[in-house]
Amino acid sequence: MSEDPRDPEGMTRRQLLRHTAWFGAAVVLTVTGGEVISRIAAPGEAAAVNAAEDPNALRFVQISDSHLGFKGPANTAVESSFSQALEQINGLGYRPDFVMHTGDLTHLSTPAQFDQVKQMMSTLDTGHVSTVPGEHDSIDDAGQKYRQAFGAGTAGDGWYSFDVKGVHFIALVNTLSLEKLGHLGPDQLEFVRKDVAKLGSDTPIVVFSHIPLFAMYPAWGWGTDDATQALSYLRRFSSVTCLNGHVHQLFTKTEGNITFHSATTTAYPLPQPGTRPAPTPVTLPAGKLADALGIREVTYRPGQPGLAVKDVKLA
Amino acid sequence: MNLVLRLATALCLALSGYLHAQLYVGGYRVIPVIGPAFLLQASAASAVALLLLVGGPLLLRLAAAGLAAGALAGFVLSRTTGLFGFSERGFQPAPQALLSVSAEVAVLVLVAITLYRARLRSRT
Repeated sequence: MSEDPRDPEGMTRRQLLRHTAWFGAAVVLTVTGGEVISRIAAPGEAAAVNAAEDPNALRFVQISDSHLGFKGPANTAVESSFSQALEQINGLGYRPDFVMHTGDLTHLSTPAQFDQVKQMMSTLDTGHVSTVPGEHDSIDDAGQKYRQAFGAGTAGDGWYSFDVKGVHFIALVNTLSLEKLGHLGPDQLEFVRKDVAKLGSDTPIVVFSHIPLFAMYPAWGWGTDDATQALSYLRRFSSVTCLNGHVHQLFTKTEGNITFHSATTTAYPLPQPGTRPAPTPVTLPAGKLADALGIREVTYRPGQPGLAVKDVKLA
Repeated sequence: MNLVLRLATALCLALSGYLHAQLYVGGYRVIPVIGPAFLLQASAASAVALLLLVGGPLLLRLAAAGLAAGALAGFVLSRTTGLFGFSERGFQPAPQALLSVSAEVAVLVLVAITLYRARLRSRT
């Protein structure tokens, strides 16, 4: 080993010790800094018990795009995949407060498909099951069969809101008047405005819709043309989380106080934006399909500023 | 000159760390993978910046460059292919995105100047 301090190829024992000390100091400071920032972000979180054991924690599951009735090489057994997803939810080790299906429950909106998806979801061990319609759930009838099956207690064309453990949930319908992009319409926008007017700005808000409320890829219709208006009513809230389906893939983005999470599907994957001429089902190599499908667990603990989102592949 | 370069590097890196910490606290922490990555960037950048203020060998400047390059790479990926399913547009959120990118580019430039000067010195 060279003793020349200028020799880049060698290092004296003293130099080695010095470098080790700097490295150690960097690691210690990094860990300390991380701890400090975490505590600023979520005071008391470190002391809080695990969400799964916290009776005050809100826990729900999002599933999406089951497309019951789909026949194609991308997934020759969508019913089986959906059944697998439901079993996975029932085996989570806790009972979710509710399960939300963010649309395209069926592939062709037939009465038999609605009946089948309703029956299958009745096996879920949860507080209640909620849904929003996808464009596949309103083929040729503007969502009438969907509302017959799942529209109880909703307003307008099937939109509604509810509260669970201090979190306000809004379920929107943006698939009925769509030409290219999703559309909410003036009645629904007015519903959102009035719905949140009474809420304090520290109330966590979660918005469900089928089509993204952000411009994920407008060329494929992956956006909602009048979402900006709806989101403007939510700007004053400290935490807004928008959960959608439709795009059959995980995707997250943040705009100010609003975080958008696109969910994956339990049926078949779609291409990433712009990678193919059209968003048609992707047939994956054998054994790879389950990796593209999944469910989403969402947790909220009172006093925390935001929701924790965890996407899990289909087991 | 070396002192100025070292302090400027520390300052720019600290700014990058501070902005990542601000975004983490402001909501990014709930985003899978991205949240913890922001926390790591913020804490590591702050730590290296602090050590650079005290002194620190050339290796620490390389660590600063690595952190800045990593943050920039994440920024570019999140605006192009997406990063762990996360995507944003342009210099949003403003003004943090632009400030952070500027600080990280400055760190890379400052470290490059430092390395160049060190190489010149070692030749003489």
